[in-house]
Amino acid sequence: QTILCLPRSFEYSQKNAVLVPVAALGVGGMLVYWLRSRHTIKTIEMGDGWWGSGERPLKGKEDESIRPFKIETSDKEIEDLHRRLEQARYTPPLEGAAFHYGFNSSYLRKVVAYWRNQFDWRKQVEVLNKYPHFQTTIEGIDIHFIHVKPSYVPHGRAVQPLLMVHGWPGSFYEFYKIIPLLTEPAGHSLNEGDVVFEVICPSIPGYGFSEAPHQKGFDAIATARIFHKLMNRLGFKEYYLQGGDWGSHITASMARMLPQSVKGLHLNLIFISRQSLRRMISVMLGAYVPWLVGLTREDVQRMYPFIQKNIYELLRESGYLHIQATKPDTAGCGLNDSPVGLAAYILEKFSTWTDKSLLHKDDGGLESKYSLDELLTNVMIYWVTSSIVSSMRFYKENFSKDPGLTASARVGVYVPTGIAAFPQELVHTPRAWAKETFKNIVTYSYMPRGGHFAAFEEPKLLAQDIMHFVRKVEQL
Amino acid sequence: EFCSSLAGIMLLEVFLVLGTVIIYFLLSKKKEETLPFKEGWWGKGQKPDTEEDTTVWPFKVETTEEELSDLFRRLDQARFTEPLEDSCFRYGTNSVYLRKVVSYWKNQFNWKKQVEVLNKYPQFKTKIQGIDIHFVHVKPPRLPEGQSAKPLLMVHGWPGSFYEFYKIIPLLTDPASHGLSDEHIFEVICPSIPGYGFSEAPHKKGFNSVSAASVFYELMLRLGFNEFYAQGGDWGWLICTNLAQIAPNHMKGLHLNLASVTNMGFIHLLSILLGRYLPGLFGFQDEDVKRMFPFLKKGLYRILLESGYAHIQATKPDTVGCGLNDSPVGLAAYILEKFSTWTDLKFHNLDDGGLEKKFSLDDLLTNIMIYWVSGCIVSSMRFYKENLQKGIGTQKHERLTVQVPTGIASFPNEVMHTPQAWAKKKYTNIVSFRFMPRGGHFAALEEPQLLAEDILQFVGKVEKEQLWRKK
Repeated sequence: QTILCLPRSFEYSQKNAVLVPVAALGVGGMLVYWLRSRHTIKTIEMGDGWWGSGERPLKGKEDESIRPFKIETSDKEIEDLHRRLEQARYTPPLEGAAFHYGFNSSYLRKVVAYWRNQFDWRKQVEVLNKYPHFQTTIEGIDIHFIHVKPSYVPHGRAVQPLLMVHGWPGSFYEFYKIIPLLTEPAGHSLNEGDVVFEVICPSIPGYGFSEAPHQKGFDAIATARIFHKLMNRLGFKEYYLQGGDWGSHITASMARMLPQSVKGLHLNLIFISRQSLRRMISVMLGAYVPWLVGLTREDVQRMYPFIQKNIYELLRESGYLHIQATKPDTAGCGLNDSPVGLAAYILEKFSTWTDKSLLHKDDGGLESKYSLDELLTNVMIYWVTSSIVSSMRFYKENFSKDPGLTASARVGVYVPTGIAAFPQELVHTPRAWAKETFKNIVTYSYMPRGGHFAAFEEPKLLAQDIMHFVRKVEQL
Repeated sequence: EFCSSLAGIMLLEVFLVLGTVIIYFLLSKKKEETLPFKEGWWGKGQKPDTEEDTTVWPFKVETTEEELSDLFRRLDQARFTEPLEDSCFRYGTNSVYLRKVVSYWKNQFNWKKQVEVLNKYPQFKTKIQGIDIHFVHVKPPRLPEGQSAKPLLMVHGWPGSFYEFYKIIPLLTDPASHGLSDEHIFEVICPSIPGYGFSEAPHKKGFNSVSAASVFYELMLRLGFNEFYAQGGDWGWLICTNLAQIAPNHMKGLHLNLASVTNMGFIHLLSILLGRYLPGLFGFQDEDVKRMFPFLKKGLYRILLESGYAHIQATKPDTVGCGLNDSPVGLAAYILEKFSTWTDLKFHNLDDGGLEKKFSLDDLLTNIMIYWVSGCIVSSMRFYKENLQKGIGTQKHERLTVQVPTGIASFPNEVMHTPQAWAKKKYTNIVSFRFMPRGGHFAALEEPQLLAEDILQFVGKVEKEQLWRKK
């Protein structure tokens, strides 16, 4: 009997002998995979920097005080501006050109007449000062920001800190209409009453009232680091971020740099720099079988005809980017000396980037979405701070290296992300493409109307989307 | 029998002739297409019914106290932005150096004296296709017995002007006094492209290089020249090329110091990829390889780095030119940057952009003043949009070839090098292609002697064998 039992027990042990190692391998493999997948959440290195003039002082700690700041003007400044406006030299537009050759000088004359005779800079300075401004020195340069707290916080409600970053040719002023919607939503009949923010809008170094870097190499990564330091200095450990244009690139870099500090990232523009073969195939197929490549009908409507919208129109609209990314000091020189030239250059973007069809209008349709007071206040920020050249250098610093190769492009964004896709934005990025970089998209909304300057043009729509996103994140 | 064989021979002859005609027609039809003359009317409003006034009247550049004091006031109130530490000319025109230029401009540069310099050559205006065309017309001071002056049309580019030719004109109208052979003597005509300098700017959309070539063709005919030579670089290259395509029977020879090829094909791509290793296969000479490769660095990246201005001017000229027409300092910065980089790309590592190595501040500022006093910067930029807005390589004339005898002077510091192997696909009758020892984009201003010598030897070749008759 024992002899008969032996083969059976041998079979059993054979099975065990095979099963156990296999199981061990399986479990072990899964363990290794899990451990490694946790570590694939790479971050961008924070690094360090010095942007003041001359050598970095070896001794002494940086002055970390936060100083209140008020924008001021003087008679001299206003008289100098008026004199330049009066002596402006114009070139008559070609017959029937509308805005196809750039800013139409016949309309520009009207804008300048308003600027000289009706626009009241002193009054606008008071408008700008209605929110508290501050300055603080980080990495050798003075960083300007506004910090708006809600005036009334219901009992037990948490106030979410929100950092909002502007772009070019914008400024912190773009957020002036959306701020009250975020700090006092109830007061503006936004029924998302359970989310309230305190808003911090800094000026990117080299823009507006933030000092311009004196050293080469100041890019979005450096800006991201400085803004993290700013929030830290203000006492925030975790916060939300919102951005469009450069603000989108900067806040996304912030999310890649210090994900543990970023509760959520909300963007109204996506920078996807990596073109690949798969992407090209997806584009070609997307025209015929969008569902196969993850594109929705709305995506197709916004992206196609692809060559027309994404190549021709982009080429037509990116001349400024090309010259600013290569010769900023040349491009900005005349603009810092001629307020009329500066206005033409900046306001052209507020026309075309708000709605591409405005090119066909003699007045660029500017006053259909914005008031001249608002537009000129933004231009004045560039004028009185003489920041146009340093604002343009940001393009060179960021595009100098091949964008596809920079470290940030390879690192994914894992923080909860909300995307508001506006129909008249320069480029439409479908969710299917965005999720290759943004691994944790919590909300993706097709906005009904609006263009590039979302906060300026459609503050209510944007505020609603931000709140909708934050509420979802808070519930997670 | 005799009749039938005769008939047979005649039939054969007819067939042969017919056959030859058909073959000739088939083979030559593709290449011998000429570019049609472009009619146009560029004046303000509606074209009037009356006949165009064809008088040619003398013109003198003038200035006023008011013009000067306005300029000085603007120079005084200029606002500069400090350059980044250690950036030289890599971010564009360095404002520290610009301040020095502005100081010279205000305190030493004498515009009244420069106006006299400009007026030393006879200038004229005439109305063509609705706009006033300005030109310089210099005849030789003396002609040896039995010789006649050869008409030579010289066309400038951007950001240049007719003034670029002021140093080379005497070498061509009076070569003997400048140590050159006087076998060929020229009378030189330098017009200003409409929208540049003292030529009126077109008021209608669509004025491109073919329009300019048509206008200059009319000009030469109006001046009584039935046969002439043409020389050009920058836009002058394209306008003269178009002129050779419109009126090949009137152009004895075409001389270029820039010969871009805009119609790139598969062969070009292949030659870029393999040309460094198999130069002989693609017809590249050693000097070609030296100037073109490594291609990414010397071709693609260089073009990307240096073409921002062309991109914005080809899309939004009225925007970018606006501030430059209002700020002379901005205008100077924008124009001077080209005189630095396009003379030698390495100049962007110098604090002063190497500008005064090859040019005098007086010459540079005189050219800038032409843009300033005529207020033409915006219209000069529109030319880019009119020519490039549909993209490079898309226009009809870019696909047509040139059969006129062509001479090419290839300067080493030109932004991008075009080898003869590529040029001859477009310029099918290259009589002379020479590598110049030094010099950049603004050849006539920077190396007038070298350019004049090349023009003379080219014309010598054409005249000796009467090549224009052999087309």
